Parts: sequence; structure tokens; C-alpha cells
Amino acid sequence: MPLLWNNNFPDIQLVKKALESFYGIGPVVCRTIMARHFINPGATMGSLGAPKVLELTTTLMGMKIENDKRGEVRDNIKRLRDISSYRGRRHAMGLPVRGQNTKSQIQTARRLNKINRAG
Amino acid sequence: MFPTRVLLKRSIWKGPNILPLPIPRIQPGQTPPIIKTQARAATILPSFVGLRFAVHNGKDYIEFLVTEEMVGHKLGEFSMTRKPFKYSQSKNR
Repeated sequence: MPLLWNNNFPDIQLVKKALESFYGIGPVVCRTIMARHFINPGATMGSLGAPKVLELTTTLMGMKIENDKRGEVRDNIKRLRDISSYRGRRHAMGLPVRGQNTKSQIQTARRLNKINRAG
Repeated sequence: MFPTRVLLKRSIWKGPNILPLPIPRIQPGQTPPIIKTQARAATILPSFVGLRFAVHNGKDYIEFLVTEEMVGHKLGEFSMTRKPFKYSQSKNR
């Protein structure tokens, strides 16, 4: 059970999956991190070894992930709201921001478009 | 890190959308007059900070003060074109 950035991952889990489980790391960022640390795309957490896991953790420490990243997104939305631009107002109303139709199907916008966005 | 993210908004060779707006030359101490315009697509430049704009929304002119954070946005973003839906019961039933 390697410990990566305060999270335990099972030995059989792919490193790619483990990295992408963090908020703020997607396929592209994950690929760059793995390339920087010479990790095989098909490598599992168990095959890494403790020093490699420590290296990965220090890299993740220097990055903006999880709550820091969520805060950044929230700050961006708050900036838009404070200057009362169209996008900021749509966020405050919980409506689609990029010109989508609102006659039906705006569940995603209702869930996510908030000033204090959760996810 | 991702220059295309910024560039995808608009081609870099075009530069910002600069339009001839009736911005007067003001003497120090004078308050600048409100600039009435229909150019919603004009980019807000750093020189606009502190000016009052009245931007057309299709019906009338909406006033706002340009602050430092608005630089880079378009004038039209600050003048709403849609009226929020409000339910009202009809009077004569």
C-alpha cells in the first residue's frame, strides 16, 4: 500500500489511475509527470518502490492540486462575479455560461455553476 | 504552459479588437463624460480604466465604470441583453 500525497493506493493500481484520482491532474499533466520520473505507462503502484513514490510525492507537493486547485477555480469565478461580467452573473444564477440552450437539460449547470463551486 | 489556451480566443496577428470610440481628451481635474457606444465587441484597453461607458444592449444603454480587472474583456460583457424570467399571474382571467 504505497502512500502517495496522504492517500493510500493498492499495489495493483496503475500509477496513471492513482495520479488522475487527484483533482487538478488529468491525462496530459499525468503524462508529463510520469515522463519526468521515467515511469512506464503501464506501471502499477506496487512496482514503483519507496524512493520513486517519495519523489512523486515531492513533485505533487510543489503542484497546485486538490483544495488549492479548487480554490483557484473559485477565485476565477469570484473575479468574474466581482466585475459583474456576463459569465459571472450566469454563475451566480446557476445557469449555463457559454450560450447553451436553457429550455431543457441544464442539470450540470445547476449542479456546478455557483460562486462557491464545490467540484 | 499552454499558450494555445490563451491564443485560441483570437488570432494573435489580429491583436485586440480596437475600435474608434469617441474617447475625449480630458484636462486634469475634469470628470470624463460618459461614452455612449454600440460597439459591444470592443476590447477594454488599459487606457479605459476609470472611464464611464454606456453600452447598448439592443434596447437601451447600460452604464458601468471600467475598473482595472475588466481589462481584456469586451464592452458587451457588462451590458446584459436578456431579461430574467419572472412569472406573473395574468390580471384578467
